[in-house]
Amino acid sequence: MIDLKDLTIEKAHESLKNGEYNVTDLVNEYLKVIKEKNSEINAYLEIYPDVLEQAKKAEGMFKNGTTTLMTGIPMALKDNMLFEGHIASASSKILENYRATYNAGVVEQLKKQGAVFLGRTNMDEFAMGSSTETSAYGNTKNPLDTSRVPGGSSGGSVASVAMNGALVALGSDTGGSIRQPASFTGLVGLKPTYGAVSRYGIISMGSSLDQVGTFGKTVRDAEILFNAINDYDVRDSTSIKKEDRLKPEILKKKIGVPRSFLSGDGTDPEIMKNFEESCEKLEKLGYEIVDVSLPLIKYSLAVYYIICPAEVSSNLARYDGMRYGISEEADNLYDVYTKSRGKGFGKEVRRRILLGTYILSHGYYDAYYNTAIKVREAIKEELTNIFKEVDVIITPTSPFMPFKFGEKMDDPISMYLSDLFSVPANIAGIPAISLPAGKNKDGLPFGLHMMAPFLREDILFTIGKDFEKLV
Amino acid sequence: MKLEDIKKLANLARIDMDDEEMIEIAKSFDPILAYVGQVQEVSKIKNIDLASKEAKDYFLHNITRDDVVTNKREEYTDKIIAEMPDKQNGYLKVKQIL
Repeated sequence: MIDLKDLTIEKAHESLKNGEYNVTDLVNEYLKVIKEKNSEINAYLEIYPDVLEQAKKAEGMFKNGTTTLMTGIPMALKDNMLFEGHIASASSKILENYRATYNAGVVEQLKKQGAVFLGRTNMDEFAMGSSTETSAYGNTKNPLDTSRVPGGSSGGSVASVAMNGALVALGSDTGGSIRQPASFTGLVGLKPTYGAVSRYGIISMGSSLDQVGTFGKTVRDAEILFNAINDYDVRDSTSIKKEDRLKPEILKKKIGVPRSFLSGDGTDPEIMKNFEESCEKLEKLGYEIVDVSLPLIKYSLAVYYIICPAEVSSNLARYDGMRYGISEEADNLYDVYTKSRGKGFGKEVRRRILLGTYILSHGYYDAYYNTAIKVREAIKEELTNIFKEVDVIITPTSPFMPFKFGEKMDDPISMYLSDLFSVPANIAGIPAISLPAGKNKDGLPFGLHMMAPFLREDILFTIGKDFEKLV
Repeated sequence: MKLEDIKKLANLARIDMDDEEMIEIAKSFDPILAYVGQVQEVSKIKNIDLASKEAKDYFLHNITRDDVVTNKREEYTDKIIAEMPDKQNGYLKVKQIL
């Protein structure tokens, strides 16, 4: 029996190196948990048929001494990441039969390092949602309280780790899809700087916002997985070159709190109380908490719901029933398009494509899209300037606690507000992390959200590890 | 928003939908557009001139690559053809377009 609950990457690596157990033993322990729990939780849509072959390969690396920290580590992939020869459906019906013809940049890197991909995890369809309820393949339950959602869109990935069905997992984050579910399941979730991690082979949603990131039970695990994929990729034109990546600097030991942004009445009072306690903990750790004025970040969510649907409407034009995915029979070409797309896309995806089509239409382009990209630059500038004064900006991760199934499905605005605090980091392209910040009396987790300057993930890890000691 | 407008958008987006769903979408559009319309307030607070910004400040510049072959001939052909819903002799088969 291996204790999976408190296992970390470094502990597993030591045991694998010492021969306490081998990779196949470790993988089998995870497969056992998955077999026991997945039928209820629905974290995984599929366990890859070649898991044990992958484990054997990793064992070979231990034998010939070519290991990295990720070698033999059992992990989960979100269903929007291409793994050659395996289905990648973005949890949409339109891609139910799509088999990846190549590896995503992150998959290729981790494969080289001997990581073991257990399977692909459920998500909101094409990552559009904050509860994993828009998936075409059923709900994923929150392992901490199965009457509640795990958050989204990376709900399957967090559930896999939270139920001890994977040691770590990859997710993707366009407006909060890593950080909000991490907060809902008591995990660490990192959204790196836009351009830090390759987007090559990740099924696109909002290309100027999407970023691949990591989940772990500890800051160190999220950091190790990030280090394994934090690299330039020539096949992603927005990937940042090695020479443009910054070196760590000394911390100011100052943390900014945007009080006026938090003062809206939409945030659960219980969450605000926990947030104040987190601030006190950080003060005890020697950080100075200062009030910062960020008058424009409250517009981030409005900017997001213009730019994202606009990019969605063009990105999803490729699913036309022609080259791959499902294709409906019809008499003429136009009907093949409309029927395949009508049958293949779910409700929320259809809504967002139509919204994007409207926003980009001739009469409304200036009022919405053109204004939004200007406000986006102003928000970036505002955040860049504030980081001259503070190391990080903190807020709660989400204004709500994990909610019940169906609670927000009929009210899109309320669902969208889940991302109120997480979305500014996507708008500005800066790194951000959600840290576990304790639990309420019902055992539901709180999350602390922290944003750092461009390319300064190191600050999030340093302060995150400090904070972790006191929670 | 009117049902007629949603019908036009669905046509532009090439998505077959029933009237019931389009009525629901039309209803949900009003609060969403009111919410995102907040961005217009910002131009009243702040004058944003994108043209005055130097591109390097935002890492915005064109990325080009050498126009060279990076994979072997027919390396992916079989895998890509295998994904096609309708094919014939190694070609993608589509409905007549003319």
